[in-house]
Amino acid sequence: MSKFIKAAVASSVLAASVMGANAAHAATATADARANILEELTVTKDAGTDLDFGTIVTTGTAETVTVGTDGVRAACVSVVCSGASDAADFSVTGSASEAVTLTVPGSVTLTGPGGAIMNANLNSSALTALDASGNGAFSVGGALDVAATQADGAYVGTFTVTVDYP
Amino acid sequence: MTIRGLRRLSKTCVGLGLAAAALVLPQMPAQAAGDLLVAPTRIILDGQRGTEIILNNIGAETATYRISMELRRMTAEGRLTDVSAEEANELERAAKEMIRYAPRRVTLPPNQPQAIRLGVRAPKDLPDGEYRVHLLFRAVPKARSVVDQVQQEDGFSIALTPIYGVTIPVIIRQGELKATAAIANARIEQGEEGPAFVFDLSRTGNRSTYGEIRVKKQGQDEPLLMVRGVAVYPEINQRKVSLQVPAEVVAQLKGPLSIEYYEPRNIGGGLITKTDLVLR
Repeated sequence: MSKFIKAAVASSVLAASVMGANAAHAATATADARANILEELTVTKDAGTDLDFGTIVTTGTAETVTVGTDGVRAACVSVVCSGASDAADFSVTGSASEAVTLTVPGSVTLTGPGGAIMNANLNSSALTALDASGNGAFSVGGALDVAATQADGAYVGTFTVTVDYP
Repeated sequence: MTIRGLRRLSKTCVGLGLAAAALVLPQMPAQAAGDLLVAPTRIILDGQRGTEIILNNIGAETATYRISMELRRMTAEGRLTDVSAEEANELERAAKEMIRYAPRRVTLPPNQPQAIRLGVRAPKDLPDGEYRVHLLFRAVPKARSVVDQVQQEDGFSIALTPIYGVTIPVIIRQGELKATAAIANARIEQGEEGPAFVFDLSRTGNRSTYGEIRVKKQGQDEPLLMVRGVAVYPEINQRKVSLQVPAEVVAQLKGPLSIEYYEPRNIGGGLITKTDLVLR
């Protein structure tokens, strides 16, 4: 509702300025007012959500630690997993019932101490069209390949997710 | 006026200079850094030399955004897949070469819109056809300071930072281009996310088709299923269109149906193609 009030105020300001311009001229003068109405698209990451595998302690055996798109981590067998896990959640707004596609990379490489690397495969929940109110959401989860001799330390990586308008 | 009508009224309104755009861009709830708004969502240049795109920072913090040209190709499932610069064909390279835009990197405080100017300089001997790139808007993540990184005594920590953005197609049409479309092979498929109404949408001609799909019971005005923004790009002649069927609509999707494909309302909303069928 507040959106509408802002738009209404803005359009009355525009109308007033157009009328003002009109009044300054002869009574028969016409004025053109032009405005393009543009469709918009927004993408936001939900506050406090990141793809988070939690803390992992190696025990000398390789394991793939998986966090689903619902943020739930699958049970760890040969490594010790602790702490909360999470998936990255995104919100999309745009035109009602508009088709969209997502581009999520298949994998991402994380770099750690002394050039150590780790690979994670990514997957996202499906988003093929926005709903009748123009809203949509998707989540990104992943599977992290932990090597038997994975060096301890902090690993960082980035991945690019795009919402593609057709 | 309906609520939906009001919503449409409140859409981003750009005109009478950028100041007006700044006035009426809706204020979104503050979210994480890097959140963004882009308008319009599709650009077609059919003889025009250029246009402007609005980028707005709708996050709570100042963010730096990068704008880049990407290539995408449509698959037979209607998805867009990334095409690297090495894989680009002649048409895609030509599209990239004729588009100029600025700025390519911009730092914006919260709720600060910025116009990105885009111009086209087509070479004199450009063959007729449809040329397309996808403009990618994305936030550049802030560099993490070493102090911020969690040091683990035992085991390791993972920090995966998503860079997220939006791509919109920029389509340049050269010459008199035509396209027609046809619908065939409608069916219900059971997917992972429940039943889907599926059909094949084919295209002939030298440009893309784009519009709205409405699935109706014959003789009724209100569509059972509707989706906007269904495109068939020139690199493919046929694609699958798959519409999720809500549970309450499943029972009604039987008997004589019609599938209609309309152009978007802002360019006239004309019927592109229509098919009648009986679904058992």
